Formats: sequence, structure tokens, C-alpha cells
Amino acid sequence: MQGFSDGGADLGQLQTTMRNIEVACTSIQMHINPAAAEATILSLSQSPQPYTACRFILENSQVPNARFQAAAAIRDAAIREWSSLSTEERRSLISFCLCFVMQHASSPEGYVLAKVSSVAAQLMKRGWLDFTEAEKETFFYQVNQAILGAHGIDVQFIGVNFLESLVSEFSPSTSSAMGLPREFHEQCRTSLELNYLKMFYCWARDAALSVTNKIIEPNAVIPEVKVCTAALRLMLQILNWEFRNDTTSMKAGIDVFSAGVRHDNGSSKRSECVLVQPGPAWFDVLISSGHVSWLLGLYAALRQKFSREGYWIDCPIAVSARKLIVQLCSLTGTIFPSDNGKMQENHLLQLLSGILQWIDPPDVVSKAIEEGKSESEMLDGCRALLSIATATTPFVFDQLLKAIRPCGTLSLLSTLMCEVVKVLMTNNTDEETWSWEARDILLDTWTILLVPTDGSGGDALLPPEGKHAAANLFSMIVESELKVASASVTNDDGDSDYLQASISAMDERLSSYALIARAAIDVTIPLLTRLFSERFARLHQGRGIIDPTETLEELYSLLLITGHVLADEGEGETPLVPTAIQTHFADIAEAEKHPVVVLSGSIIRFAEQSMDPEVRATVFSPRLMEAVIWFLARWSHTYLMPLEETNCLSNDYQQHQSMNSKKALLSFFGEHNQGQVVLDIIVRISVMTLVSYPGEKDLQGLTCHHLLHTLVRRKTICYQLVSLESWRNLANAFTNEKSLFLLSSANQRSLAQTLVLSASGLRNSETANQYVKGLMAHMTTYLVELSNRSDLKSVAHQPDIIMSVSCLLERLRGAVSAAGPRRQRAMYEIGISVMNPVLHLLEVYKDESAVVYLLLKFIVDWVDGQISYLESRETAAVIDFCMRLLQLYSSHNIGKISISLSSTLLSEAKTEKYKDLRALLQLLSSLCSKDLVDFSSDSVEAAGINISQVVFFGLHIVTPLISLELLKYPKLCHDYFSLLSHILEVYPETLAQLNSEAFVHIIGTLDFGLHHQDLEVVDMCLGALKALAAYNYREICAGKTGLVSAGLGNLPEGIFSRFLRSLLQLLLFEDYSPDLVSAAADALLPLILCEQGLYQKLGNELIERQTNPALKSRLANALHSLTSSNHLSSRLDRVNYQRFRKNLNSFLVEVRGFLRTI
Amino acid sequence: MSDEEHHFESKADAGASKTYPQQAGTIRKNGYIVIKGRPCKVVEVSTSKTGKHGHAKCHFVAIDIFTSKKLEDIVPSSHNCDVPHVNRTDYQLIDISEDGFVSLLTDSGDTKDDLKLPTDESLLKQIKEGFADGKDLVVSVMSAMGEEQICALKDIGPK
Repeated sequence: MQGFSDGGADLGQLQTTMRNIEVACTSIQMHINPAAAEATILSLSQSPQPYTACRFILENSQVPNARFQAAAAIRDAAIREWSSLSTEERRSLISFCLCFVMQHASSPEGYVLAKVSSVAAQLMKRGWLDFTEAEKETFFYQVNQAILGAHGIDVQFIGVNFLESLVSEFSPSTSSAMGLPREFHEQCRTSLELNYLKMFYCWARDAALSVTNKIIEPNAVIPEVKVCTAALRLMLQILNWEFRNDTTSMKAGIDVFSAGVRHDNGSSKRSECVLVQPGPAWFDVLISSGHVSWLLGLYAALRQKFSREGYWIDCPIAVSARKLIVQLCSLTGTIFPSDNGKMQENHLLQLLSGILQWIDPPDVVSKAIEEGKSESEMLDGCRALLSIATATTPFVFDQLLKAIRPCGTLSLLSTLMCEVVKVLMTNNTDEETWSWEARDILLDTWTILLVPTDGSGGDALLPPEGKHAAANLFSMIVESELKVASASVTNDDGDSDYLQASISAMDERLSSYALIARAAIDVTIPLLTRLFSERFARLHQGRGIIDPTETLEELYSLLLITGHVLADEGEGETPLVPTAIQTHFADIAEAEKHPVVVLSGSIIRFAEQSMDPEVRATVFSPRLMEAVIWFLARWSHTYLMPLEETNCLSNDYQQHQSMNSKKALLSFFGEHNQGQVVLDIIVRISVMTLVSYPGEKDLQGLTCHHLLHTLVRRKTICYQLVSLESWRNLANAFTNEKSLFLLSSANQRSLAQTLVLSASGLRNSETANQYVKGLMAHMTTYLVELSNRSDLKSVAHQPDIIMSVSCLLERLRGAVSAAGPRRQRAMYEIGISVMNPVLHLLEVYKDESAVVYLLLKFIVDWVDGQISYLESRETAAVIDFCMRLLQLYSSHNIGKISISLSSTLLSEAKTEKYKDLRALLQLLSSLCSKDLVDFSSDSVEAAGINISQVVFFGLHIVTPLISLELLKYPKLCHDYFSLLSHILEVYPETLAQLNSEAFVHIIGTLDFGLHHQDLEVVDMCLGALKALAAYNYREICAGKTGLVSAGLGNLPEGIFSRFLRSLLQLLLFEDYSPDLVSAAADALLPLILCEQGLYQKLGNELIERQTNPALKSRLANALHSLTSSNHLSSRLDRVNYQRFRKNLNSFLVEVRGFLRTI
Repeated sequence: MSDEEHHFESKADAGASKTYPQQAGTIRKNGYIVIKGRPCKVVEVSTSKTGKHGHAKCHFVAIDIFTSKKLEDIVPSSHNCDVPHVNRTDYQLIDISEDGFVSLLTDSGDTKDDLKLPTDESLLKQIKEGFADGKDLVVSVMSAMGEEQICALKDIGPK
């Protein structure tokens, strides 16, 4: 290894090194002994000061790969040794790299040049904050000369290329790691943005300008094209920069508040779209200098040449030019002077008139593409429209085109998209074609234009012509969707994934459709009503005669589309009626004639027909029923008994008349009108799907999780529900009917939860508790009776008994998950009454893992819901029960080995065990929370309960079951360590009370966690370690013995010495994320204070191991300042922790580089 | 499996029916099912529809609990499947004989000597090693549809 370093290098030695590396590179390529070859190459980059050897290889080797590796070695070594290199050495490394690429600019091995140039860029960044302005100036002078073209085209290209690497190195998302804190990268970014970026852009532009004339000349391909392409790419890259230092926020480098401020009000809500906001300083370069017209001119000239040799629509220069044009469309912000957007409009208009030829006229363009023309120009045109839409308001967007054409941009957008949809319709395949992509981009454009931009929720208002365009487009879209739907019936091959995912996968597209429909709501609602009635009629006429499948599929699509148009998803909130629907239809006074009422009514009446068994059998297929249930859920969430909101309408700007129509719509399905009737229909349909579609899990899942859940989420509906006959029937069926026992487990659970939740519609907590008890009585009675049977052991394993038990446990679990303050009593009593049965069943079913898991989950959920309400006596009972449960579970499972030939069954067994343990940990966490959240009247201490002891005792039972093998399950690992670190942080003193075996186990897992690859786990372990060591240190300071002596004598050395060693080892020699350094510092400080003697010893050992005297003294100094600089004291307070964090950071930057290679 | 066999009652679960009918839609992963006359444990259930607007059917992938062979079945989810009655009994291991049989102690104090050791080498090794180490071993014997086999081993402490 030493042979590669520079120490007294003579020619012979250098040549030997070169030959070794060349041989290694060749053998890697030939795949001969790659491990040894890699080791050789690695030893070059790891040897101290390998620079002379590397330079020698770069300059003399004939093997390009060897040159590549030499460049990489320069990078690795220099980044590592940077802090020990002299300024002169640093400078010479960079200028060597720069000179090298310039001198070899014409070399055919582009990748070697790219590598060397990126090495130069990285080294320049590494030294960025240390170099003086003059030093940087010298480097950039050289680069500028190259880019100006003084040394020929190849050098010009190389210069542009270097800047590309430099910019990407300085941009945080693409920078390479240097082992430095984030602040460093942030400072570099800011400095480059403020002082250099614009200059680079100008250089690139000038380089491109200098060759433009030659390119435009009617020649075939010339070498200048390469330079121009690179320059365009660099300009694009610079415009992609995430500009932050707009003048207004100049002072703040990493100020989170100013970083997010957008200066253009219109676009502030559209954060998901990338806007280019370089600030006013860029005005002269991008706007006033004719930059855009030059670029458009260049592309137009290229377009002329497409038919000729060497140029085509996808040639690199054309692609780069188009991308840059699209990027310029997103230009916005303070770069434009505040003149009401006039300047920006002109800018966009100029761009748009250039882009127009790519997409207009749409039919001609799409025909050409279908006949084989490349689609990329058209797609870029669509992207440009998207960018323009992002940067403007809908009104401005529409006006842009009117300046040069009779119709507005919206009409063009509509025609363009209709054309795309037509193409989609005619060649309907599953393959992703250009029309798919174009449709998605254009849909995004519509979404950007139509999505409400201000907080008031007002939908964007389109000019009348735009509305017309939207209406046309929507009817085209619906037509195409229906056609696709009916066509899909025939090419079906039972693709179950598609069926299940269809609703959610289409969701995004459908909500864009809904936005378009709402833009022209007066036309689109009647359209949908008409389409529905046509299909209903077709179904009735053709019943029993024609195969209805195509119509069913069309209805399926229509239901999805209509659901999206009429109502929003809500995402956990109560969605309001969409503003477009609220504000339109002003002339409708009678509620029955309100188009939305008519449409909703016709669908509900259709759905009601499913109650007739005969119609159900022929028309309502499970799939259609899924769409019906989905629609009913979405619709009722918005329209059924809506909250009275007349009060908040006062600031509405609409006239009185529209208020009336809106009120009519809102109250039509309200409590006092048709609401109850409709609710009754919905409940009856739900019961029917649960009973009459046996085994249709998806359908029943939608009913339980979606529809019924939606209903009980709102109080107004609950009041009505509990008084409905049909709801009582559902509750009766739930307790008595056999068919409801056949629901799948998740549905079982959800149904129980729903029924319990509906109790919130009852007037007082007494009736609510009574109602819940009535619902649950059958479950508890059955379980109690079963567990008391004398022949329990022999009957328990009969499949029918297992099924009933599982089913009831699922229901119990569902019910307790709906616990709330009003129903808490009933839930508590239910739990108490099945405590003993649960233990009996756990005993009997110990080998029936599925039942065991259900039992555990039920208890976990029950305890979680109850624990914070319990009085101290009750808490004692619950804790006692939990401990018995833990012990029983542990006695069944400890030391158990499953024997099976099947690896699948074995791994299943392991997974089951993991799930059980995870449940048990959750149980312990819930118990832990009693100390934090407690609503009871007396404190738990009153009953002599010490939660910390309980939890430690529980942990004691559980930990032997948790092997390091099981900790490989990420979720279990996460749960385990969060519980462990919580306990250790809150109750460090209790650790001492564990016996030595459990203690060793816990310490062992902590050590395991420290070396885990999951950041969060390591972080939690460090937190636990900090708490332990800090506790110990405080105890010792107070003159007590601390943790060390507490019954832990059989450990070879104290735990803190052990962790001090392993933490130092980790910090100095291993790989870890820089984010961990702060947490590690917090743990390291108390550890050092606890074990000062050992720390001194370890420090001395480290120093002794250094052979190089210079490094030796550096290490000694660094170690010294780690514990003494910044006025570090030996107290454990906030200030001191902060100081130590700083010290550790600079310590690591200083020494890790050379320590790690030893 | 013929009807004749179906009525045969083994000593292990005398008096109990060997299988029970259960709706296919309610059979879950980790549950049991009879496929091609073999008692199996379900390791995968997926549902699909027969045609776009048809009814749901369940696709089971299951593993024979005795032979570990993989078996598959497709059943309309509203139809019934047979579910085997799987019993597990714990016995203390007294002896392993040369001819591959084990001697087990029942709850009532009798011995049960008719059970063979598994033939697979690695499973055999696990049992034999545990026994040779002088540990106190309890074996779980799984029985279903007239067959039985050792399925788990538990160390209840040193002798």
C-alpha cells in the first residue's frame, strides 16, 4: 500500500504503480479475479498522498480505465485529506485537473474527461469557503477563456461541460457526499447562486450565440452543434436551479419562512408545479436581451432542417432547445417588473407563438403522428401549455392567444385534448401510447387552470367561451370513457388486480374530469342525467333478451364519473357541496327540478331496484353493486342531511335568487325533508348487500368500511339511524342471523364498530351503554359459556367452534375500537366479563396461532381504549390480568420449536410469532401511557401500583421471546426500541431492579440497535443511552452508587465502559449518516463523564497508534479541544450539550478522514 | 379419498367428525382446508371474479400439513369447502427407540408407542439432539383425518 504514496517517488516506482493499476483495470474488465483487482485500485485511493502517482497515470497511461480510476483516487484522497493539505497543494490539484481536461479536450474517451472535470468541480466545492475571491477568479478566467472559444471547439465544449458538473455539484439534490455538515452545502449553494450562476448562464448563452450563425447556415451537421447542445443543456440546468435568494429574502440563508414565500400571488397555491423564479437580477439576461427570440429563431431554423441529413426531431440539439423553451414558459416572480403582468404576458405570448406550430392545427398534428412522425415535439408543446397555465391565471391564459387568433387559448386546449381523446378512443390498447401521455399532460393543465386557487374555495371562473370549450371536452371525455368501458367487457380475462384497484387508480384522472365538468356544470349535469336514463331504459327493455354486460360496464363508469362530479372526497373532513354546484342553477326555484336533485334521485331510485331479487339477479352484478355502494357513500357524505350552513353565507357575493336555489338543494335531502326516506333506502340496500351477496368480500367491504362508516361519522345521521326500523333490523341480524357470521374478518370488525358508533345518536350515556350491552351480550355470553364447558378441550378444535370464536373475537375487537367516553362503562364491563374466558381460550388454543393473535389483539385494543379512564382499583385488576396473560403466553412459547418440512409453514410460524410479540409490545406501551394520560379521579400510586415496575416486569417476560432474529422484522424492531428507549428515558432507575439475565439481554439488544441500519432505531438507542448515562452520572455526583454496582457484578466491565468503546468505534471508524452526529454527541457526553478514566485511556491508545508524527499531534489537539473548547463544563445541561455537539462535529471533520483509512 | 375411509374413525379423535363444511369466503389465511382429500393449511387466499360482472371465487394455495406438499384449489366463494378437524396433543417424550418409534407419556399416565419419528434427516436431528442433550422435552402431536405426526417440540427445562 505504501508503494502507491508519494514518498520519494522515482520514475521506476511510478511506472510500477501504473502497471499495477492498468493490470487491475484490465482484469476487472475481463472478469479475472475481480476482488483482487478491486483491492489494488482501492489501495491506490486509500494510500496517503497518492497524487503524484495519480497524475503520472493520468498523463502516461494508455489504458483509459486506469486514467479514470486515477482521477477517482485523486478525488477520494483529496476529500479525505483536505484539511491537512496546504493551500498550494489544494490549488494545484484543481488546476491540474482543469488543465488536464483542456489539454486532452479532443480525446475520444469522453468518460475520462467527464470524470476528471467532475473531480475538479468537487474539489473546487470542497475548498469553496476557504479560497479567496482572487483564487476563484483565476480558475474561472481559465474556464471563461475556454468557453469563449479561444482554444477551439473541443475546449469550448469541455469548458461548458465543467460548468455543468460544477452547477450540479452545488445543487443540494445532486451534490456528492463529502462528510461535511449540511450547512456547508447550504452555504456553497447560496454563494454560487448569488455570485456566479447568472455569469455562467451568460457564458453559456454567449457560447451558443457564437456558433448559432454557423448552425443556421444550410449545411449538414458541423462540430459546432456539439457546443451549442452543451450550452443549451447548461442553460436548462441553471434554470432548473431552485432559486431562493430573491432580493427580498436576501439576508436569510436558511430561513425557512422566507424560503417558502412566493411573490406571485396568483400562483402561491400551486406549489406542486415547478416555477422558475430567479429574481429581478436576471431581467437583462432572460427578458430584455432578446434571448427568447434568439432561441425561438434557432429552433425554427433547426425545424427547417429536420428533413435533411443529420438533423431530426429528436436530435440532441432540438431536444435541448425545446426543453429550454418549455422551461422559459415557467418563468415568473420578481424578474418581471410590477406592471400588472404586462411584461410577463408579452414574454409568454412570444413563446406561445413559437410553440403554436408544434401543436396547431391539432387534427393535422395528430394525424401526422399516427402516420409515423415523432410525437416528442407535440408532447413538448403540451408541456409548454402546462407551464404557461402554471404561471398564469385562467383568464390571462385564455387571453394570450386572442392577441393573435380569433379564439382563446382555452379553445385551443379543448380542441387539442379532444383530438387526443379521439385517438385514444380509436386505438384502445393497454400499451402506453403517446396519446396517453398527452392526455395526462393536458389533464394536468386543466387541473392547474381549474383548481380553486384561493382559500375561499371559489372555483375558477372561466369566460363563456372557455365554458363552452370545457363542456365540449367533457362530453367527448365521457363518450370515450363509455366506449372504452363497453369495449373492455370483451377483452376481459379475469384480471382481479385491475378490478380491485380500478376505483382508486382512476381516482386522480376522474377528479380532473370532475373539475372540467364543474367548469360547465349547467351543461354537464343534464348530460349525465340523459346518459343515465338512456342506459336504464336499455336495461329494462332488454331484460332477459340481450346480454346486459356492456350496459352494466357503462353504468359502472358513469357512476364513478358522476360521483366525482357531484361530490368531493373529503379526506376525513366533511366535504361541502362543490361551489360550482352551489352557485349555479340560480333560476331553479323548485327543489324537485334542481338538476342535481333530478340526477341524484334517478340514481337512488335505480339503486333501490336492487332490493327486488329478480332484478338483482339479472341486473345488479357484484361489480355494478360495488359502484352503486361507492356512489351512495360518496354522495351521502356530502348531500345527506348536510350541516345547516345558512349562517356562513352572508358574505356570499351571489344574488338572493341563487341563495334560494342553493338552500333548496341543501335542504331537499335534509332531516326534515327527503333525508329520512333516502337514509332508510340506503340502510336497506346495505343490509341486502351483506345478506344477499354471500362471499362477495369486495362488495361487502365497501359497504362496511365505506358506506356504513360514512353514515355513522355524522351525528345528525346517527340521531336518525337509531330510530330507523331498518337500522334495528341490521342490529338484530348482526346478533342473530347466521349469514352475517359469514362476513370476512375485517368486515366483521368494521360492522361491529359501526353499530357501536351509532350509539352516539342516543340521547344519554345510560341508554347508550344499554344499547351497546344489548349489541354485545351474545358475544360475551357465548365466550363465557364455551370456556366453562367441561368438554372444552375436545370441542374447541372443531372447525365450526374455531370459526365462531374467531368471529366473535373479531366483533369484540371491532366494538372496543369504537370506545368513547360515553360508552366506556359498557366496554369496561364487557372486557371484565371475558377476562377469564380469554385466559382459558389462550390455554386451549395455544397451538392455534390465528386464534391466539385475535385474543391478543382484542386485549390490546381493549386496554388501549380503557386504560386512561380506569380508577386505581380497576387499573390494578387490568394490570394483574395483563401480567397473567403475558406469563401464560410466554410459558406456551418459550423454548418452542416448530417442526415442519415446509419452509413456507416455518416462515409463517415465525411471522405469526412476530405479530404476537408486536401486539404484546403494544400492550405494554398502552400500560405505559397510564403514567402520561390519566382521566381517573385518583392517581394510580394510591393503589400501590408503580407503572414503571409493571412495564419492566412485562418487558422482562417478553424480551426472552424476542430474539435478534425476530428483530429483523422492521416494525417489531421499531416498536421494541421505541418502547425500550421510552422506558429507559423515563424510568432509568428501574433498570437496576432487573435480574442480571434480563439486564444483559436488554443491554445486548441496545448494542444491536446501535448498529442497526435504520436511522430512527439508532436514534432511539442513542436517546436511551443518553438517558441511562446521564442518570448514572447524576447519581454518582450525588454521592450514590449509580447503576454500575446494582447487582451487575458478573459483567466483565461496566456497561458504560462498554458503550463508550462501541460508540467511539462507531463514530470514528464506521459508516453512518451525518444526521446521527447530534444524537451521538448527546449520548457521548454523559458517557465520557461517567467513564473519564477509560476515555483518557482510549484517547491515548488512539494517539499511540498513529505513526505519522504530524497526524499524531493533530489527533492529540483535536481530542483535547473536543473536551475543552467552547467552555465545555462537566454539567449536563442544555447549553453544555449544545456546545459538545459543536465540538464533536468539528472533531469528526478534523480527524475522521485520516483515522478511517488506517 | 373414498367414502369408506371418511367414516373410519381413528383412535386419536374418536367420536368426532373428521371434517366440517364451511363457506369458502370465510376460510382465511392460516386456516385449514381439505384439498384433494388432504388436510392443508392455507398460506394464500386471493379472490377474483368469473368474468367482469360474475361472482367472486376464491383461489387457495395451501400446504399439506403432513407431507408439506403444495396444493391449490379454486372455489366459488359462496360454496362450501371441507375444513379438517385438526387436533394437537402434548406428550412428554420418554424414549426414542432404535426402530424409529417414540415412546410418549399421556396425561392419564399410559404410554403411547405407535408414533413414528419423522423420516426427514434434519427434523429427526432436531428431536434426537434435544433428547440426547438430556432436556425435558414435550412434543406436540398433530392429528387430522386419521393421520398423526409430531409438529412441535418444546423444552420445559433440564431434567
